[in-house]
Amino acid sequence: MYEMDYSEAAERISRKFSQKGSEMDPKKIETKLRRLVAEFGVQPSEAERSVTNELAKEFNVPALGSGGAAKGTSGTEEKKIGDAVPGEWVTIEGKVVSVSAPASPSIAQSGVIADEAGAIRFVAWAKSNAPPMSVDSWYRIESAVVDEYKGVSSLKIHSGTSVKDISAEERALIPSTTPIKDLHVGIGSVRAKVVQEWDTSHERMLQSGLLGDETGTIKFVIWKEPGKEKLAVGAVYAIYYAQVDEFNGRLSLNLNTAMIMQEETDITVSGGETSVRGAIVHIAPGSGIIKRCPVEGCNRALSRQNYCPVHEIQPNFHYDLRIKGWLDDGEKTHNILLQRDAVESLTGISLDAAKEIADNNPLGMDEVFLRMRDAVLGRYFMCKGREIDNRLLANACEKVKFESGEHTALLNRAGGAS
Amino acid sequence: MSMNARDMSGRRDGAFEREPARRVFAAELRECRYQFREGEDEKSPTFVLLPTGERSNRIFLVGTLTEKQRQGEQNIFYRGRVVDPTGTFFIMAGSYQPEAMQQLAKVETPAFVAVIGKPSLYQKPDGAFTVTVRVESITVVDKETRDIWTIDTAARTLDRIDALATRSSPDIVKAKEQYATVDPAVYRKMAYDALAQIKM
Repeated sequence: MYEMDYSEAAERISRKFSQKGSEMDPKKIETKLRRLVAEFGVQPSEAERSVTNELAKEFNVPALGSGGAAKGTSGTEEKKIGDAVPGEWVTIEGKVVSVSAPASPSIAQSGVIADEAGAIRFVAWAKSNAPPMSVDSWYRIESAVVDEYKGVSSLKIHSGTSVKDISAEERALIPSTTPIKDLHVGIGSVRAKVVQEWDTSHERMLQSGLLGDETGTIKFVIWKEPGKEKLAVGAVYAIYYAQVDEFNGRLSLNLNTAMIMQEETDITVSGGETSVRGAIVHIAPGSGIIKRCPVEGCNRALSRQNYCPVHEIQPNFHYDLRIKGWLDDGEKTHNILLQRDAVESLTGISLDAAKEIADNNPLGMDEVFLRMRDAVLGRYFMCKGREIDNRLLANACEKVKFESGEHTALLNRAGGAS
Repeated sequence: MSMNARDMSGRRDGAFEREPARRVFAAELRECRYQFREGEDEKSPTFVLLPTGERSNRIFLVGTLTEKQRQGEQNIFYRGRVVDPTGTFFIMAGSYQPEAMQQLAKVETPAFVAVIGKPSLYQKPDGAFTVTVRVESITVVDKETRDIWTIDTAARTLDRIDALATRSSPDIVKAKEQYATVDPAVYRKMAYDALAQIKM
């Protein structure tokens, strides 16, 4: 767990007040901070903000914003953006590569800031009174806080942060790209080809589809915004500073924050397909016939009581088939997820047949689970699909057949050396 | 407070990894004499060391269920015998595995069955060792599945014998120490005989 440096933060607050002509006892400030953080579990940045505000109110010191802390006095560690770790106070220098419309009135500005080593999303709170930053300018940001939400780091610019335009110090930033298979949640740059364009599933969506490079493929999305253009299918683009999101263990690229440049060259896209041959050694609960949320773009599995984790009770659900389980080749066990088509061909039970079984049996949907389990458990299959985070999303599976050629070859191998 | 990035990636890397189900013939499993646990935790997995030099926490076997028997008064459990081309597996399912027990109770002998289970080594009061497989699941399968399993298991066994001769790993070192008198040629012949029993 991150230990806040209370005395440093207290010094910073007391300095701000002394610049406005009010002297505060850093020890007293420290006690207040310690209480909020240690006893009440308040985030350090929030604690610093709330103590500053409390004292400003108490001593009637108006407009205590950022910009007060002088350069070089903040004491927080100066870091490369790529090294910033959630929970830390950092000072960084970087170039703002994109800004986006604030998602909430409490946010003044958000965007992406980058240096040679990496890039990170930033959020400037409205209350921070930070000067608005502009794209392509360089800034020194002192005493910002790195935090994390759903595995994505971001840099929070709060009232204790100072932001300084340092564009005068001329420097170049050449972004580097990452192979698709090595992307991780946060900000990423790729050189990739548009291999597929999908029907947009939402009216706010401009385009979605699949990008690929030599190492794999990834879903992308562009949301409707003035100035945004669709990508051309088959064209290769250098895409800098896109936002890498994760949903259900699957990464996708949001290109709204990205700088996109079309390239003349072509690249060979890896199919990203793997196949695993093995025995199904477990069928997990939640396999068989399931109900899905009918809300557009949702499609989540509902509970028995037709409850969607997001859209609550949905009596007008639709049915689907899936199998979740483990396919084991004796060396490694692969988590597999089979979609409806694969389930139907593997079990010989169609969606309609499954509905009928569920309707006409005392066990209902459980009966479908049991029949499917008995049909596939302990048998050999070859499954093909994309493997992501050790889960194989199989789009085709077939039963392994006895091969007499294989048998003969093994007899020779076993007999050969004896 | 938030985790740092290293913990995050650690969590992803260390995400639950299921122990693979090893393929082993009855005649090899019967010879196991060494069992160990990895880690001090109560939930740390227990492994049986195969004489061909690989740890096994779980096995997958296909054979013929020839006998099953209900035992116990208060704590009901089922025992069964599953025969492969090389010998007999002793399986059991108790009230701690209610689903497996019900599955086993339902099967009419004789039948081809696929069993996923956990092997454990016991020493009887007379000093003799037995290896029992605690069933996680058992399903009725067809003869073709049994033949594919025999090929699969022969191939995996030969792979282990080859690794024993040419490579080194902690398990191989341990096996050479624990099973110093075992001649791998015995298991090569066992694999050959098992394959030879498959009717073309």
